[in-house]
Amino acid sequence: MQFGLFFELSVPRPFTGDVERRVFQNALEQARLADELGFDSLWVVEHHFLEEYSHCSAPEIFLTACAMQTKRIRLGHGAVVCVPEMNHPVRVAERAAMLDVLSGGRLELGTARSSTWTELGGFAVDPDDTKKMWDEYVRVLPKMWTQERFAHDGFSFSMPERAILPKPLQKPHPPLWVTVTSPGTELDAADRGIGCLGVAAATYAEQERRTREYRRRIKLCDPVGAVNERVATLNFLYCHEDPKRAATTGLAMLGVFSLLNAHLLSTREAYPTRAYQSLGNLAPRPAADDGSPGDRRAVPEGITIGDPGEIVAAVKRWESMGVDSINCIVNAAEVLPQEEVLDSLCLFAREVIPAFRRGSTC
Amino acid sequence: MLIGTASVEELAARAPVAQSLGGEPAACPQAEVLQVAYESASAHREAALPPALHPTDPPLVTWLFYRCATSPWGSFAMAQTRIECRSGLRLRAFLVSAVVDNAVAAEALQTRWGFATRPGEIALRRHYDSVRATVVADGATILDVVVADPDPLAPADVQYVANMNLAHTSRGLRLVQVEPGYQVHRVERGRPRVAAFDGAAWGDARVAPVHPVSASLAVADLTIPGVRFVCRPDVLAFEGTERVG
Repeated sequence: MQFGLFFELSVPRPFTGDVERRVFQNALEQARLADELGFDSLWVVEHHFLEEYSHCSAPEIFLTACAMQTKRIRLGHGAVVCVPEMNHPVRVAERAAMLDVLSGGRLELGTARSSTWTELGGFAVDPDDTKKMWDEYVRVLPKMWTQERFAHDGFSFSMPERAILPKPLQKPHPPLWVTVTSPGTELDAADRGIGCLGVAAATYAEQERRTREYRRRIKLCDPVGAVNERVATLNFLYCHEDPKRAATTGLAMLGVFSLLNAHLLSTREAYPTRAYQSLGNLAPRPAADDGSPGDRRAVPEGITIGDPGEIVAAVKRWESMGVDSINCIVNAAEVLPQEEVLDSLCLFAREVIPAFRRGSTC
Repeated sequence: MLIGTASVEELAARAPVAQSLGGEPAACPQAEVLQVAYESASAHREAALPPALHPTDPPLVTWLFYRCATSPWGSFAMAQTRIECRSGLRLRAFLVSAVVDNAVAAEALQTRWGFATRPGEIALRRHYDSVRATVVADGATILDVVVADPDPLAPADVQYVANMNLAHTSRGLRLVQVEPGYQVHRVERGRPRVAAFDGAAWGDARVAPVHPVSASLAVADLTIPGVRFVCRPDVLAFEGTERVG
């Protein structure tokens, strides 16, 4: 089992003074500490216009800062939005390769297509087309990285032959992933031979089904590049020796994240389309789904909030169903003081990570 | 977190009286349902909602038309102006007001579900490549919208959001959650263009459509069930939600 951090870079209101700088600096400090503690990866989202929820519109720059301040931890785009109105595919390939070179071959490239009307509408993207665009991107990126020269005549872009530079350090290319929020996308990942990057809270049963289907199907894949057969899930991390305090503090963080997530304007709500069959929520569903506005989010199964023993038990359950890595949100809109986040990471590294492998100290 | 800042007292002044919440569901088979969504100017996104509700970003105004040939009150049409919002974690739409062309239906919709209604004329005109919807009240056109190039979608592709209707109830001033059910038989999506909209005539001059998003025209069995939840308008839904019945 591998462990990663997952950064949304959520910023609390009011957006005054240096609040964004403080959030970014805190995240960088968490990244440096995670690198020292033996965490395996850190992942950074790409979002646009999502006030408070995520001010991470230029993840490649944040990841470059992480690359310069860390030594061994792997750096994940979690994920690049694969529509040309936001990111031309050549620019995705170029930036990823540059980051891979600068980081010494530590890049993981997640791909996505965005799920909010706020973002798609802001860039005038037709929601009907995003799945086709994403599919085209994941098929051309490995070619851009591995072919000396590249030309393309396609749906979302066309170009004459050019040398796309630089080439990534990792050979044949950095691992590719796709974010999975709704059932079915794990099959898209498997069919293309790319990693299944879970970014929505899933129940044990749903994750077990998803992982089983993915493993079964990827055996028959028509790979778009080098096969990356891995399953990652999203979780929330707060670790404290006192389980009551862990629950109180950690669930406060989960509550803030869930509220901000629920307030996003999903594409499905604004724009009827067969291309978005779910709202794309990352947070768990309400505890009782009877339509009451008073309901709060349920505490997800297998959440990594608790004392070390509770967390080890939860992780072992995820491990038993074939999950390869767990990526954790460790704060939301700075609701937790930075010292508490760092202490939580240290305790996790000292008491939890060794249960799954050796060599972590704090 | 964005929270509504509208004065509850000011909203209360134009809220209807709904003293008979609940009762039997109202079934309206084979209803025509037109929903038009526009982004709205964000300057007043908080000021348009009571403190119990959260605006979306960007703010979204939706116009929801029902044309029902069959209902417990006979044939009627209703047009609503709503602001998409959140109540707690739920997707909801705050009713600005509604126009109803049948007095008996209007009375029931107001007293049992808290719809703020006024009389008017509602027309849905189907052309080969467009649909035109107009609402006339007191002799003035207060909404005129054209939906161009309707194209079929699957019934599961369209989603409707429940209402929060502010009304004076037996429990006091409350947001009444109205959760119509839609058994969609067929649906099309088109491109909307608002030719006329008078926000003041609907009850809030600050509602200003600025950017078209989508429009859908469906035929659905519409059911308006009894009210299950009401919320205080002055506190967040986590504290102010009450179960009815």
